[in-house]
Amino acid sequence: NTMKVKILQWHAVASWTWDAQDETCGICRMAFDGCCPDCKFPGDDCPLIWGACNHAYHLHCILKWVNSQTSTPLCPMCRREWQFKG
Amino acid sequence: MEQDDADGSLDSWARFCSLSNELLGGDGDLSVGPRLAPVVADLCTRGLATLVRDYFLHSLEETFRNNAVKKFWQHFHPYCNASPVDRIKFCVKEHWPEEILSGALEDICLEKSYQEKCVLVLVHALQSYEDRTPKRKFKAVDCSSSLMPRYQLMVSSVLLTTLPLSFPEILNVYFKKKLEELNIIMAGSYESDQLGNHELFESSNTSDWHSGMDIDGQDVSESSCLVKNIGKVVRDLRCLGFTSMTEDAYSSAIIWLLKSKVYELAGDDYRVPVLGSVKKWIQAVPLQFLHALLTYLGDSVDYDSGSSGLKSPLASRPSSFPGIGVPSEALVRWHMRLEYFAYETLQDLRIGKLFEIIVDYPESSPAIEDLKLCLEYTGQHSKLVDSFISSLRYRLLTAGASTNDILHQYVSTIKALRTIDPTGVFLEAVGEPIRDYLRGRKDTIKCIVTMLTDGSGGNASGTGNAGDNLLEELNRDAENQENADYDNHANIDEKQAWLNSESWEPDPVEADPLKGSRNRRKVDILGLMVSIIGSKDQLVNEYRVMLAEKLLNKSDFEIDSDIRTLELLKIHFGESSMQKCEIMLNDLIDSKRTNSNIKTSLLKTSQTVAGQEEAEISHDVLDATIISSNFWPPIQTEDLVVPASVDQLLSDYAKRFHQIKTPRKLLWKKNLGTVKLELEFEGRSMQFTVAPVHAAIIMRFQEKSSWTSKTLATEIGIPMDSLNRRISFWTSKGVLTESAGPDADDHTFTVVDSMSDVNKNSIANERLAEYQMTEEEGESSVASVEEQLKKEMTVYEKFIIGMLINFGSMSLDRIHNTLKMFCIAEPSYDKSLQQLQSFLSGLVVDEKLETRDGLYLLKR
Ligand SMILES: [Zn+2]
Ligand SMILES: [Zn+2]
Ligand SMILES: [Zn+2]
Repeated sequence: NTMKVKILQWHAVASWTWDAQDETCGICRMAFDGCCPDCKFPGDDCPLIWGACNHAYHLHCILKWVNSQTSTPLCPMCRREWQFKG
Repeated sequence: MEQDDADGSLDSWARFCSLSNELLGGDGDLSVGPRLAPVVADLCTRGLATLVRDYFLHSLEETFRNNAVKKFWQHFHPYCNASPVDRIKFCVKEHWPEEILSGALEDICLEKSYQEKCVLVLVHALQSYEDRTPKRKFKAVDCSSSLMPRYQLMVSSVLLTTLPLSFPEILNVYFKKKLEELNIIMAGSYESDQLGNHELFESSNTSDWHSGMDIDGQDVSESSCLVKNIGKVVRDLRCLGFTSMTEDAYSSAIIWLLKSKVYELAGDDYRVPVLGSVKKWIQAVPLQFLHALLTYLGDSVDYDSGSSGLKSPLASRPSSFPGIGVPSEALVRWHMRLEYFAYETLQDLRIGKLFEIIVDYPESSPAIEDLKLCLEYTGQHSKLVDSFISSLRYRLLTAGASTNDILHQYVSTIKALRTIDPTGVFLEAVGEPIRDYLRGRKDTIKCIVTMLTDGSGGNASGTGNAGDNLLEELNRDAENQENADYDNHANIDEKQAWLNSESWEPDPVEADPLKGSRNRRKVDILGLMVSIIGSKDQLVNEYRVMLAEKLLNKSDFEIDSDIRTLELLKIHFGESSMQKCEIMLNDLIDSKRTNSNIKTSLLKTSQTVAGQEEAEISHDVLDATIISSNFWPPIQTEDLVVPASVDQLLSDYAKRFHQIKTPRKLLWKKNLGTVKLELEFEGRSMQFTVAPVHAAIIMRFQEKSSWTSKTLATEIGIPMDSLNRRISFWTSKGVLTESAGPDADDHTFTVVDSMSDVNKNSIANERLAEYQMTEEEGESSVASVEEQLKKEMTVYEKFIIGMLINFGSMSLDRIHNTLKMFCIAEPSYDKSLQQLQSFLSGLVVDEKLETRDGLYLLKR
């Protein structure tokens, strides 16, 4: 066979995902792959964070929640004490 | 006594008759006068004064008719008896009708003036009788004072009753030719004035033109001589009672000359102003002529310098005309009449060519400026609207015109008419049919968005700023406007101004122009564009789809011009409306950074792994655009099995992404993107830029030189019809050949042996040919707004069909309102009229519906 194909450039397209179990944040109800209401851009600017209980939230959402609690903050989903997953 | 009396009367009467015959028939011999007086006195004493007068007038009439009138008309018989064609031959003769006319007039006036003398002889005779017998004065006075007016009346009635039909025509030709002559004489001095001798002309206050002294002694004396001759003809004609006929003739000749002058000056050149020259010419030629003529005839009486109490009814009477001085009221009237006629003529001429003028805009703005002034004077704006709308329907709003052409003409129309009509009232009327027409076209939104945002002249893959897009231009205009308007408000926070404009929505179509609009000047054109589309959301939506398509087909990350466009769109439509587009562009910026990080780290690793089996392709060739898919329009995904070597690169890349961005992961959209590849045949090669699916197809032909479509489709993981569509790219380029396969719907494709075969089948004969997929060969990566809408509207299709079964046919409005009324359950109907219209026209294309007289009905 005489023909060879030489790839000079392959410009591909991909989308990214946080790969969380749920589609939306339990606090702000916005998509995880979107961003929290306070942010303009998704992704690096508005990261997700997982709790020890394995529930995920937008970082900004859970921080707001934690800061608004007077007593020990609980996970809004499972009501267990909130701890960031190590 | 009675008998005596009667004999004496008869005697006197006979003497009177013979003496008057002698007087009238004589060759200018007035010596009869003294002999006539006693006879007349005798007859008057006998109470026959009236009879004397009537007999005398009757004899004058006979003589005049026989000696003068017949001869007079005979001069014109050859013309009057000629056919229309032959008449033209007369007209082109150099001295026709001048020679004949002045000769004939001279003769008849000579005869008339002799007769007038005769009349005076009788008047004297009557008067001397009266003087002697004051008691009986009454009757005779009546006769003597009425004699001359009766004579004049007789002359004109004899002439008018024998007038040939074409005599007014002859007069008209005469004045036309004379004026033309005068125009040519004046052209010299008028043009030298144009060349820069303004002051001389303006300041030369030589009110006595007929005296033969002006700017250019020779020209003027020549012209004054000409006017004198014309004046003589006019005076003779008046003397014969042709006063109003003569005035009509020279008026219409002046008007005719003015008209041809306007046509000559205006022509088809729209890039120079002509109104000024026309007005100058009016003063230089017809007004000078009229001034000289009226002065010659002694009609030019200046009321202002005369009696103090008489006020001119003309409001803006010029204090002085160049070369004339303070004009008479008659001349001022003429001036106004001629200017009005010039304005109207130029206006009609420009309105008739408005379509071309607008095509030529802004180069044609001098013509627009002229038209504006004309319309301000005549107030005939509605003429413009009617005429322009009909030329639009005839020339622009036709199936043959591209949507782009229509839009560009519309924008030019807006710009041009904005000058003429700052309130936008006429623009509204003119724009209506264009907007209606455009709403019925499927590619309107797309073309509008392209025109607004694409500076590369419609070429989506164009590089750099080949030209401004409309948005850029509007923005620059607005900035200029603002700088001009608010120079002394330099502290106005521009950001605040932009913020205010964010909440802007186009004025409703039926907006009251008197109410004015916020930011009208800044957003006028854009607002009208948006009103075609329906809403700014639809415009933004279409832009987002086009932007997505463009970004996903890029092979680099250069988006400077798109960022600029986005900034402009944010200014006009608000930041929040553009949020998603901003994220899309931000994805490209992020991708560029991430891509370079990942590649650097991948290349480092592959270098450090020594002794690895040599990779077929390097990590270096892979680039990736990584998108935040939630913010992009729906993406067309299709499964695709890429060659193993590429797949390896993709998974290495994804793994590295995950390492850098934990816990984020990459999901490849393998059918999207662009691939640059080189096909190598013994020593020769060709470059192509294609979609991944085309690359996947051609790469399979390295392992095996022949494939059947069925097996290849399975290998690549795409449906058969899809494969057939894509593989035709390679056959069309001559790289693959197609032959009958194992069964009817399964074809065999074989790669050609060498470049020479490729050359035979394709246009490429360069050593290294390069191919870029054309737009038709490529396929869209993003679902179009139309496809999205179709998907959303399908729910309502059965409602619409149901309605039409019940009602037969329905208008767009009625369908829209019915859907709004009844489709309130999920999904409730929330589409705009334009969206519905576009969906319905899709159903018409699919032959489910048809339209008749603007109503929709089921296709049978
Ligand atoms: Zn959230
Ligand atoms: Zn956030
Ligand atoms: Zn939890």
